[in-house]
Amino acid sequence: MMKIYLDYAAATPVDPEVLRAMQPYFSEKFYNPSALYLDARATAKDVQDARAKIAKQLGVRPSEIIFTAGGTESDNLAIRGVMEQFPNANLVISAIEHEAVLKPAHLYNYKEAPVNSDGVVDLKVLEKLIDSKTVLVSIMYANNEIGTIQPLREIAQIIKSKIESRKLAKSALPLFFHTDACQATNYLHVQANKLGVDMMTVSASKIYGPKQMGGLYLNARVKLSPQILGGGQEHGMRSGTENVAGIVGFATALDIVQNNRLKEVARMRRLQELALDLIRQKIPAATINGSSKHRLPNNIHITIPGQDNERLIMLLDEKGIQCAAGSACSASNEEPSHVLSALGLTDKATQSSLRLTMGRDTDERSIRYAIEELALAVYTTFDSPKIVHSQSELSRAKTVLSEGEVAIATSREEKPFVADRIRSGDGGVSGKSSKEL
Amino acid sequence: MTKKTVFVGLSGGVDSSVAAALLKQEGYKVVGVYMKNWSKDLPGFPCPWKEDFQDAKRVAIQLGIDFKMYDFETQYRQKVVDYMLDEYKAGRTPNPDIMCNQEVKFKLFLDTALDDGADFIATGHYARIKNGQLFTGLDENKDQSYFLYRVTEKALQKSLMPIGEYKKPEIRELAKKLGLTTADKKDSQGICFVGKVGIKEFLEQYVRAKPGKIIDHNGKIIGEHDGAIFYTLGQRHGLNLGGGLPYYVTGKNMAKNEVMVTTDLNDKELWSKELRLTDVHWINDKPDTIKKYQVRVRYRAPLVPANLKILDRSSLLDLRKAPPSPDQLISSGSGLSSFDVAKATSPSVKPLSTPTDLPWERAILGKSSLLLILEESVRAVTPGQSTVIYDESNRVVGGGIIV
Repeated sequence: MMKIYLDYAAATPVDPEVLRAMQPYFSEKFYNPSALYLDARATAKDVQDARAKIAKQLGVRPSEIIFTAGGTESDNLAIRGVMEQFPNANLVISAIEHEAVLKPAHLYNYKEAPVNSDGVVDLKVLEKLIDSKTVLVSIMYANNEIGTIQPLREIAQIIKSKIESRKLAKSALPLFFHTDACQATNYLHVQANKLGVDMMTVSASKIYGPKQMGGLYLNARVKLSPQILGGGQEHGMRSGTENVAGIVGFATALDIVQNNRLKEVARMRRLQELALDLIRQKIPAATINGSSKHRLPNNIHITIPGQDNERLIMLLDEKGIQCAAGSACSASNEEPSHVLSALGLTDKATQSSLRLTMGRDTDERSIRYAIEELALAVYTTFDSPKIVHSQSELSRAKTVLSEGEVAIATSREEKPFVADRIRSGDGGVSGKSSKEL
Repeated sequence: MTKKTVFVGLSGGVDSSVAAALLKQEGYKVVGVYMKNWSKDLPGFPCPWKEDFQDAKRVAIQLGIDFKMYDFETQYRQKVVDYMLDEYKAGRTPNPDIMCNQEVKFKLFLDTALDDGADFIATGHYARIKNGQLFTGLDENKDQSYFLYRVTEKALQKSLMPIGEYKKPEIRELAKKLGLTTADKKDSQGICFVGKVGIKEFLEQYVRAKPGKIIDHNGKIIGEHDGAIFYTLGQRHGLNLGGGLPYYVTGKNMAKNEVMVTTDLNDKELWSKELRLTDVHWINDKPDTIKKYQVRVRYRAPLVPANLKILDRSSLLDLRKAPPSPDQLISSGSGLSSFDVAKATSPSVKPLSTPTDLPWERAILGKSSLLLILEESVRAVTPGQSTVIYDESNRVVGGGIIV
């Protein structure tokens, strides 16, 4: 069966070039970079080169890069590393941060800046929330669920003026700005110096690099208390023998995505527009969540009223299409999405939400096929798997659906089992893997 | 004629998946129902309910049938788990699967489904139902009729078990042919909610066990156990006595927290020819004391021919006059609190109006009880387990709980 993967925000396949770059470090170049013999020095040099490459992409100094085991660890290091030193201080985060920011923030005095219905942080409220005891602001670059991009530079400006007035008030309390850029790295520039952040979380696993590999940009003026103690690697900020293969893979992956970024953004934008057009056309009841303007080009997030997202995902899976619930919330997972709640969605709407995230292997054919199948799944009732097979039937079905019923329209003989049905003549592509498309 | 609606209990396993498929093929309107009975993780074993739920839902999607979930967690805890824990605490070895069928699947689920629009319910049991009568499944290896003897005739009339007509390999074959995701899923073992975690690990979560003495057939203390509650009559393993011949549990004294053992597999205390059953349930007819029945003393045990006797006050008096041998009493009744061998050996002739002295008498009085006289001795008859009674046509006529 043809597979169409539309969950790139969850995981990306490792780029073959990245894999090639990593390969030697598992065997012939396995050395511990801290050792003194020449072979180990060579490995240490490779780590240094990788660090330099990453620093260059982030517009910072190599000594400001801390390697970690992924985005979650980087977020934890940034937040706990700062907050532990200031027990009476507070931090400000947005209402739609990833759990890797939320959960550590909950350990301290924290305040949440609300977002508007597009998912963009309300800057006026944010400005008010930052008070004389705020020591850290952590706002994500782009959201993992709805793809909304936050105005980091404007936030940096606000923070800068807060620091200025603190200086005037002769307050010694610092104020740092952290951002989680895990979802942004594929499609946005990540020049930390230009963004005006003091700390930035990046992850290899979302950019066609290895999992459990990430980094934290740490401006030299920020002092953190380390969370993992030991041999003192990463300037004492993160002990443990370097994951050399991971580091080399990370640097290679970051170079590839950033160097091809603009071309890929343009391609994604076209596909995103196509997908949204098709959804509006074929599933008019669907609503699009998040911002249309400040949005990652690979993210499609919709709510289809009355639908159970878990059921849709399983139905699409049967057709080889892999996508995600709009959030962690589904029939067998009762935890509602804080992101969608922050946008004002009800729990019921949350359970009717789907997220499709595109990536390198996504093309026009796969999008057309996926949306076609999604529409069929929406118009398929649980009992009697009656499938809509032609455009005219589809519009009939749509009419019924807009009247608030589940549509049934078919001219075909119903066969007893969905699994037995052979797909034909409904505009789908057949028999090719997504690689061949 | 309108289609009859059947609600199939989909567990996320292969048997119930195929049951649903077969019923759909037969022309029923089928609705898949996942019963959420247990969702707690146990040490070293995450509860598989979410995966099972999703597998059940996926099967419903693959079959194109409606799907819903019934949440029975509270009732399951009360009716099945609490019962099970109480039985263990009393020194018996209960069978929660039988209780689950009696209380949850063929009572709670049945009633809920009928209220919800069902004409019938169905399960993936290897057993057959005809005219409100229960028969063994055609696959002798998988037959589950043993677990179903407490289901009432009324419930059976509203229930379907399509899998009972097939053998397990055929079911897997069918599942594969239909492309069901559950086709290759491993069978769940033992008690449904305990899953892969052992019964000991489960009990340890709920009861505090204390170490106690292990006493051999000569009355000699030969070691220490970690709680009499964990031991089952006839059990061979887990005594940690080291080297030599294997030991078998011949009895327990819950009050003293003692476990009695022997190395002799022919030890009389391990064998019984007479069984007392209480809480007897007859599905269709009344017990017949002349008829020869076939009985099964535990799941998958071979059938043994037996006659039966109804135990009431007068028959108890008869038994008093000729009490069963102490050996039999120990093997079948010593699991109950403090049992005094001396009392049983000297026949007491107290009038029956006074409270009884023998634990099995106490357990029997006031309940529907039977005495089974077996044609041959059976090993390790376990108090708390069920004995199921069959007739010559593979029909389950009833059964009861071993005292």
